[in-house]
Amino acid sequence: MADMVSIPHSQPQQHQFNPYTENGGTILAIAGADFSVIAGDTRQSEGYSIQTRYAPKVFRLTDKAVLAVNGFAADGNMFVKKVRQRLEWYRHAHAKDMPIRAIARLIQTMLYSRRFFPYYVYNILGGIEEDGTGAVYSFDPVGSYEREACRAAGAAQSLVQPFLDNQIYFKNQTPAPGTSFPGHLSLSTVLSLVIDSFTSATERHIEVGDGLEMYIVLAKNSPSIQSLRDIRGMSELTATEDGERVFVVRRDLKKD
Amino acid sequence: MNSFVDQFSTHSPTAQLKRAQKLIAAEEDDYSDAAWGSQAGFGGMIKGIPAFKVPAVADPTAFLRLHTDDHADPNCRIKIQHGTTTLAFRFKGGVIVAVDSRATAGSYVASGTVKKVIEINPYLLGTMAGGAADCQFWETYLGMHCRLHELRNRERISVSAASKYLSNLVYSYKGMGLSMGTMICGWDKTGPAVFYVDSDGTRLKGDLFSVGSGSTFAYGVLDQGYRWDLTDEEAQELGRRSIFAAGHRDAMSGNTCNLYHVKEEGWDFIGNYDISKMYYEGPGDVPGAPGGGYGYAIRTEGRSAANPPPS
Amino acid sequence: MFLTRSEYDRGVNTFSPEGRLFQVEYAIEAIKLGSTTVGIKTPDGVILGVEKRVQSPLLEASSIEKIMEIDNHLGCAMSGLTADARTMIDHARVTAQNHAFTYDERIKVESVTQAVCDLALRFGESVHDEEAMMSRPFGVALLIAGIDEHGPQLFHTDPSGTFVRYEAKAIGSGSEAAQSELQDKWHKQMTLKEAQVLTLRVLKQVMEEKLDQHNVQLAQVTKDKGFEILDEARLQAVIEEM
Repeated sequence: MADMVSIPHSQPQQHQFNPYTENGGTILAIAGADFSVIAGDTRQSEGYSIQTRYAPKVFRLTDKAVLAVNGFAADGNMFVKKVRQRLEWYRHAHAKDMPIRAIARLIQTMLYSRRFFPYYVYNILGGIEEDGTGAVYSFDPVGSYEREACRAAGAAQSLVQPFLDNQIYFKNQTPAPGTSFPGHLSLSTVLSLVIDSFTSATERHIEVGDGLEMYIVLAKNSPSIQSLRDIRGMSELTATEDGERVFVVRRDLKKD
Repeated sequence: MNSFVDQFSTHSPTAQLKRAQKLIAAEEDDYSDAAWGSQAGFGGMIKGIPAFKVPAVADPTAFLRLHTDDHADPNCRIKIQHGTTTLAFRFKGGVIVAVDSRATAGSYVASGTVKKVIEINPYLLGTMAGGAADCQFWETYLGMHCRLHELRNRERISVSAASKYLSNLVYSYKGMGLSMGTMICGWDKTGPAVFYVDSDGTRLKGDLFSVGSGSTFAYGVLDQGYRWDLTDEEAQELGRRSIFAAGHRDAMSGNTCNLYHVKEEGWDFIGNYDISKMYYEGPGDVPGAPGGGYGYAIRTEGRSAANPPPS
Repeated sequence: MFLTRSEYDRGVNTFSPEGRLFQVEYAIEAIKLGSTTVGIKTPDGVILGVEKRVQSPLLEASSIEKIMEIDNHLGCAMSGLTADARTMIDHARVTAQNHAFTYDERIKVESVTQAVCDLALRFGESVHDEEAMMSRPFGVALLIAGIDEHGPQLFHTDPSGTFVRYEAKAIGSGSEAAQSELQDKWHKQMTLKEAQVLTLRVLKQVMEEKLDQHNVQLAQVTKDKGFEILDEARLQAVIEEM
């Protein structure tokens, strides 16, 4: 076992090695019955200075899976690159796109392989499961993961997550007498919640703003496509004929 | 001929070069020629574990501690999820495993829906305390080896052997910063069994364990109500009640309780119980529950002038 | 027959001028000495059957193991140097478990077959600086049966590392007669029961001893129950149905 860890001897060594920085921003994903929405802002900052107003944090992996990364941008971008490489290898070896459940486990093993030199990245994976249901998987930097209905991560996590708990899980709400909460939220409701989450986070968090990218993954023949008809700023990214469809909606957020 | 000598030499230039190559290859290219074959990137993995990459610093452990340990430095960047109450006990009807579901990062509740019981396979359970990823990863890995044991030896691995496998595994990483405190629970030829294994390398066989920040509260209830000849219903209630106590008194534990019962044929998931709900209403209509809320204020309602009945 | 090959049949990685690898061809010959093994695919699952050669009345037939489980959805039957098959099957098992660990899904039948064939090709001199793993090709052929998202499948692998998918396949000493019998009797819509009976009939034809529940072994991979070796009672029932 011990030989799995290669400890350097003859490498140049530097003391006070500090390879990490925090680049702000927030990501968020919500799963519906037959869709999944994965969103992130596009601001990248270091300390109080904004480095760029457009640095994507959300990436389409396949037509079934979209990955959002937050934390240290360099680690995040490298991580996405490596996940994509593994997805391609898998496609060559097994002649199919990797199911989202498999991607989730793969991400765990990839994050954990850096247990002693972690990627400083919080990952949220959203998409469509093999059975056609919407899925969200969230990860910590060293690979513990869980399937959930919704999750926010990043700078404004503590602002957004309580809002989602209230609006998605109906935490601390009581249904009006004679009524009950809906079992699943509609795509249009979810999209409004995502937009509201980000405009509010932009108001109250200095590291959030500039632009919003929302990826929408729809299951095969999902009727939710109806609610995308009159969405402004939407484009389709679907690449295969498998049936699942991926869309992206880009919106502006305040730039101050 | 020289190549043979080099293989065992640590000072030759070849050996040093090899070591350097190994270092660079740790994650980058070490997928070997099998990468394009059926193993799809498994070349670089020994027994399924990717080779671990370690930073090129004099003390990698100190590096890790600097950036991840939130006890040493609450402002460190990478927050690993912590805080827990887990318990498991053995009785005549099997093993009861009960856990809470809260994960905290500092004082933030990172999740209230964590699955702290890891279903290693249909007849072995592991619990999660300490680093969530450490427990999840190594217990899943243990599951893989238990299955291989089963295929190679045509019989199920004993709980003792499985727990020893895990304890040897984490011991080989001792001092490198792994953090896990787990109970491996199951039923084998010797009957119900519980083993406590942690990342220091401790491995203990016992009847009753509780691990995590809320363990003292859980032990209080558990020790008081524990008997070997508990009925199944009584035992399940004891597990639930103990986790409730911990969730109630320990700020780092809470949200919900997940309850499992390991029997001879394998484990059963008994249920998920909201801890706040248990305070006011109890666990609901389940066998073994006394009915009514567990909360002191609820139980004593209307019994004294200080706590009058609701008007 | 092999007289002219003396120059080129020594090294395992030396081609003859005609472009042949004799050691690999000899390894394939070794399979023809092995006991007969049959596999049949049906829409409901795959049947594997082997002949156990019980050379002595003192030999305990139950200790002969020629059908092995790779994973719950994968089984394997062998013919040839069965000791070599242990290495291959252990590799297949580890590959299947590694796949389940990394991807949280069952490995495909073709992928596990590919992995076994990758191993079969690793004979000869070392490629990098590592020690050579194997000095000669494996002397065993496998029938790998399994079920995945593409349904029931049956693969045949040989020492050259080639694998091919079959509807029904026989390997080992009686393979020629057995294969032509399979060609006659096999049809697409066979039930599992029919396939079990056909497997035994084919084995019976090529066996020297009288077929009974001690000198054959049957196994199946089905969607519901996965891999299972039929116990003597169930085997007896199939024999009676023959």
